Amino acid sequence: MFLKLETRETGSDVGLSTLACFLLGVVITTLSAALIIAVIVSDKAAPELASLAMQNLNTSGVENPVTAVLLNFRSYDTLLEIAVLLIVAVAVLPDQCFAGKTSLPAKRFLSRNVKHQVNPVLAGLLKWLVPLALLVGGYLLWIGAYAPGGAFQAGAVIAGAGVALSLAGQHDFTWQTTSVRITLSLGLLVFIVVAAINNLITGTTLQYPVSYAGLFILIIEVAATISIAAILLLLFVCLKAIAEPAREGDTQ
Amino acid sequence: MMILGITLPVLPLLVGLPLLAAIAVLLISSHRWRTSISTVIAGLQLLIVILAIQTTEASYHYTLGGWGAPLGIGLAADGLSLALLLITAVLVLMISLYSAWYFSDSSKATRFWPIWWLLVAGLNTAFIAADAFNIYVALEMIGLSAVALVALAGTRMALVAALRYALAGLLGSLCYLLGVALLYRAYGTLDLAQLSAQMQADPLSWAALSLISVGLLLKTALLPLHFWLPPAHASAPAPVSAALSALVVKASFFLLVRFWLEVFDPAVTVTAANFLGVLGAIAIFYGCIGACRAQRLKLLVAYSTVAQLGYLFLLFPLAFTNSSLEMFGDAAVAAVTYFIIAHALAKAAMFLAAGNILVSCGHDEINNLNGLARHQPLALFTFAIAGVSLIGLPPSGGFIAKWLLLNVAIDSGQWWWVIVVLAGGLLTAIYIARVLNVAFSQMDSLNISEEMTVTRSRTIGMAACGLTLAILTILLGFNAEWILVLLNGSSPITDAGVVR
Repeated sequence: MFLKLETRETGSDVGLSTLACFLLGVVITTLSAALIIAVIVSDKAAPELASLAMQNLNTSGVENPVTAVLLNFRSYDTLLEIAVLLIVAVAVLPDQCFAGKTSLPAKRFLSRNVKHQVNPVLAGLLKWLVPLALLVGGYLLWIGAYAPGGAFQAGAVIAGAGVALSLAGQHDFTWQTTSVRITLSLGLLVFIVVAAINNLITGTTLQYPVSYAGLFILIIEVAATISIAAILLLLFVCLKAIAEPAREGDTQ
Repeated sequence: MMILGITLPVLPLLVGLPLLAAIAVLLISSHRWRTSISTVIAGLQLLIVILAIQTTEASYHYTLGGWGAPLGIGLAADGLSLALLLITAVLVLMISLYSAWYFSDSSKATRFWPIWWLLVAGLNTAFIAADAFNIYVALEMIGLSAVALVALAGTRMALVAALRYALAGLLGSLCYLLGVALLYRAYGTLDLAQLSAQMQADPLSWAALSLISVGLLLKTALLPLHFWLPPAHASAPAPVSAALSALVVKASFFLLVRFWLEVFDPAVTVTAANFLGVLGAIAIFYGCIGACRAQRLKLLVAYSTVAQLGYLFLLFPLAFTNSSLEMFGDAAVAAVTYFIIAHALAKAAMFLAAGNILVSCGHDEINNLNGLARHQPLALFTFAIAGVSLIGLPPSGGFIAKWLLLNVAIDSGQWWWVIVVLAGGLLTAIYIARVLNVAFSQMDSLNISEEMTVTRSRTIGMAACGLTLAILTILLGFNAEWILVLLNGSSPITDAGVVR
């Protein structure tokens, strides 16, 4: 949506005077010093929460305490974070995605741009890199239950594969289709559905039955990984679309 | 809550339902279905809130995931939350209906509906939050969706305003988050009730209170942190402006009340409370003068929001009389909650009416709105009724709200706030009269852009939504008891022997 906003404003020099800068520096230094002193003079609370999390780890369905906090103890926050990502995704979706039925004939999400010549070395590298990134993403998703990893990391790596394809220029992404919108909202949808199902099973929203907790967490993470990867890729492709015309203009 | 023998998790539903609505309207591409689903879910949400208010005791609690604080996250709703949930549900229904007409033939609709429902989910989350970090996530949801909705207008002015709003909101969020980090260091928990039980007046608590307050004040747009509000609220699409002024700024104010009156209660000093009160008083005058000088109708209404937000901050000096909440805390909260509801209804009605005028005239320059009374009688009528409530004339909700505020000010012996409230009312009358004066003069010479050929059914539908809200504002003046009983089980009005 912000694509139309010209970022370079001409003739509006908003530099501050030396005195203003000095005063601002003094104010910021004073405030920071006050903050540091406040932290130093006060006592630190005993870290009870960490031990509490470790105690409850065996009933959480996963072995990694971070994943347990993100997807079991404080899963509500994670659910809302995924909703925040969806807000960003809907806000940056290119305009033509919403043009309705009169738009271009439905294309596939990933299409090959035959006209674009690609360096054979680069093409060869991509053939290795992209499947490898997908594999690493899948591994990170799986290992999240036992060690550092999980949906956000896996989603970022998988989006990285898409970024590599996009930068090489041989592939185009189409965001028009309904299936793209399903992909973007899948993480949130599955999370809510799991919450509702658990409400029926255990009587409490977001409370997993202990023996199936691991399974439910995995289902949520798989869906979240797909959505996160799609949203990150969308953000990159949209920003690239802003930067690209300017770059072509510079070279000519 | 039990309905027909089924136990409904009310609080999670209030978040889950709007989220599901957001996904549904994102996936569906038919305009008619999208609006029908939105209307049905908005109605359902209102029904749930009304049933929740009717069926229960004083407050609701919910333990998500069965863990309980401090490990898990809880949800909680007291009288204040329920009052805000109710006004949110009412406005969401009316604004959704209005938007169905407003965005009827534009591709913006497809972007509007999902973000709109995500905003509603964020608002509900904030109103039932009982966890400091959960509030941060709610603030992010509200802030980001509000920015996206402002940018929806697509004009250069709207995009600049949205970007400024985004940066201000981001700074506010980060301040808040730093405050929460300090709280966690000091008390080892994020649960508001547990924080409240352990709270002490020490430097770290003051630092956390200041950071959280600055963050929330930025988002509530209290002078001098209001700079982003007039352009953002003035240039957004009309239904978005209505939601921003009526609900979004109230969410961060509500959180401010939560933190000052419940969590940080022992750490708050009378000086700090009075400082907020003085800023509020200055905001009243500044906002009114800004509204009097505004050239565009929507900018006038936006400045009026800056002024009306000032009144809310009188809560703090009134509640912390003699540094104890026991004397006037409840009465002050009741008065301000009433004010929030009255202002939300009136301001939403006003923005919807302004949107109507903008759509049918093609512009909203106040000096060129001559003869509006003949061309758009319904919209102008709505604007006038809402104006009556903002000024605080009987028999509107605004009158009762100001009356309650004056009562607390006199009871607590702080007569100087009485002058502020009354002077603010007078200044409000000036800018409302300014619009009406132009609208009723030179009946034959309204400037309407030629390309504006809006179907009649569309403008009438939109006007009806605004009018309903305006009528609710008046009805609120006749049914003061209901909300006050909802708030604290007893009615300060009858206790004070004022009405009846």
